[in-house]
Amino acid sequence: MCTCNKKNEYIPYPAKIESVKKESFDTKTFRVRFTDKNLAESFQYKQGQFMEVSILGVGEAPISITSSPSRKGFLEFNIRATGKVTDAIHALKKGDALYLRGPYGNSFPLEELKGKNLYFIAGGIGLAPLRSLINMVMDNRDDFKHVKILYGAKTPADMCFADELEVWKKIPDTEVWLTVDKPCDAWGCSIGVVTELWKETDVHPENAVAIVCGPAIMIKFVTLALKKSGFAGKDIIMTLERYMKCGIGKCGHCNIAGKFVCTDGPVFSYEQVKAFPEKEHVI
Amino acid sequence: MSKMIEKKKIKGLLKEAVKQWHTYVPQKHIGGDVLIAPLPEEAKELEAALDNISLADDDLVISPKDIFFPQLETMFKFKKGEIAETVESSPKLLFGIKSCDLKGILFADEFFKRDFEDAYYLSRANERLIVVIGCINPPRPGACFCTSAKTGPFAEKGFDLQLVDNGESYFVETGSEKGEEFVAKYSGFFQDESGDAEKAVNSIKAKAEKAVELKIEFQKALDLMANDDFIPEEKYKRIGERCVYCGACVYTCPTCTCFNVFDNAKGDEGTRVRIWDACIFEGYTREASGHNPRNQKWLMACRRYEHKLKYDKAKTNMSGCVGCGRCLASCPVDIGMSKFVQEITEDKKIM
Repeated sequence: MCTCNKKNEYIPYPAKIESVKKESFDTKTFRVRFTDKNLAESFQYKQGQFMEVSILGVGEAPISITSSPSRKGFLEFNIRATGKVTDAIHALKKGDALYLRGPYGNSFPLEELKGKNLYFIAGGIGLAPLRSLINMVMDNRDDFKHVKILYGAKTPADMCFADELEVWKKIPDTEVWLTVDKPCDAWGCSIGVVTELWKETDVHPENAVAIVCGPAIMIKFVTLALKKSGFAGKDIIMTLERYMKCGIGKCGHCNIAGKFVCTDGPVFSYEQVKAFPEKEHVI
Repeated sequence: MSKMIEKKKIKGLLKEAVKQWHTYVPQKHIGGDVLIAPLPEEAKELEAALDNISLADDDLVISPKDIFFPQLETMFKFKKGEIAETVESSPKLLFGIKSCDLKGILFADEFFKRDFEDAYYLSRANERLIVVIGCINPPRPGACFCTSAKTGPFAEKGFDLQLVDNGESYFVETGSEKGEEFVAKYSGFFQDESGDAEKAVNSIKAKAEKAVELKIEFQKALDLMANDDFIPEEKYKRIGERCVYCGACVYTCPTCTCFNVFDNAKGDEGTRVRIWDACIFEGYTREASGHNPRNQKWLMACRRYEHKLKYDKAKTNMSGCVGCGRCLASCPVDIGMSKFVQEITEDKKIM
């Protein structure tokens, strides 16, 4: 038995997959519910947090929670098949078990975003962590001003949450702008990297905060474009990805210059990220 | 009145202690390496193990961190979806560790307690008694730099008991209530010291300090490292080119606590385990996508120095290096913390 005061954070809780939805050619969204009814109902998390998701016998991986805390009882994870654990998760079906521990990490600063114009700028599967906050905003729409979602992917087949992009588009004061690097015949939106969308729509810093997630190289160019548009460092928020094996600041892998992405992040402002030494190649 | 214990009584004391504690003592192993290992309880095996204990200034190749943080550790077992926690907890007596390693343990205690508690470490370390034996001569001559790091050769605090080698006997210093209780409980093995113990102890300690020949400007290094971007990249790059990335420095280090986690299963039955990992390994920061933010070798090499001397110090006010010198002693290409400190404080090429 554990003799320390608190619970053993490394022990995951069983959950059941309620549905599996194919999002893009290599990502799926898994809706899961804790097996323990009390836990399923009492479980709380914040937009931007992540969990350690595992299959017993295969391993554990950090996955951001893509569902919104405003929608209770279940959790959703948008997962790309890209390694041993995520490949095995992709092979699971409705009714299969997943094991979860968390939630971990800080979160998007909801209170600070209230009354602001919001720019969500995502690349590829980077929309997954932002979706948690987007739906939180949509469910409390009056608390926020104008919302623009700028989303880029490699091809139309790489786009996640296609149905939901349509839903968000129809919500008042909400715009959705899409772009792909390589279009297909039926593509009716822009072509090029996500910063190309600056030509299509105004990105204005007044009373605005930009929330960014995507591959490191995409974050780099998006933040450059935002700075050029006049955004202050504190008004650019991003969520970073690192190899987060334990999620609780112990295993060491996600360390950047004395900080742990898993406990000090994963949400950082541009100001914080710029304070990291250049050689850490954060963005 | 202070206490002492005759060296010839140590075996008898350990034989008694084994009845109550898992007793970890440095023992000479086949091949000659001295490693800290638990004494067996069975009488015959215990007798044989006691013949191999070694309390002199031997080089404990691996620091005693693995008593509380084993190299490979089961976190839980699972069978058909059911999880059974496997947290170890038992009273442990660490008998004969060095003062630098005590510092390492105290450092790891703080780390595993910080923010989220690490149930495995804290449970293993929960009930323990630490008996330090100060070094009369440095176990790793030319590599030990405890006097510069201010961690030895004798401990100032943090121990339960500290033994000071006086030839045929040890002077006994008590550092805690638990230590006092230990001496009282096994009082038959200890005796009162009649002479001027304090003077003798001070003289032994002063001599031991002099025996540590390697003196480096450790505090100056900490101050320099606190200054952002002070170290020219060329210095790190040179270390990076020379390092063979074997991980010996990390594995032998008393304060390196990074680990990886993996599952080991056959069918629907198995274990989740954690295993020591090393920041100087290429896969350490590689993400599933293949993206590796620390993708150049010199970045992996410099990471460790910055962590120990800069970020640990900033966060805890304790240096992450305890001056044991194992990194240099174990390095196949002669890189080590003391050399790094010399490089940055003496403004000349050491490595």
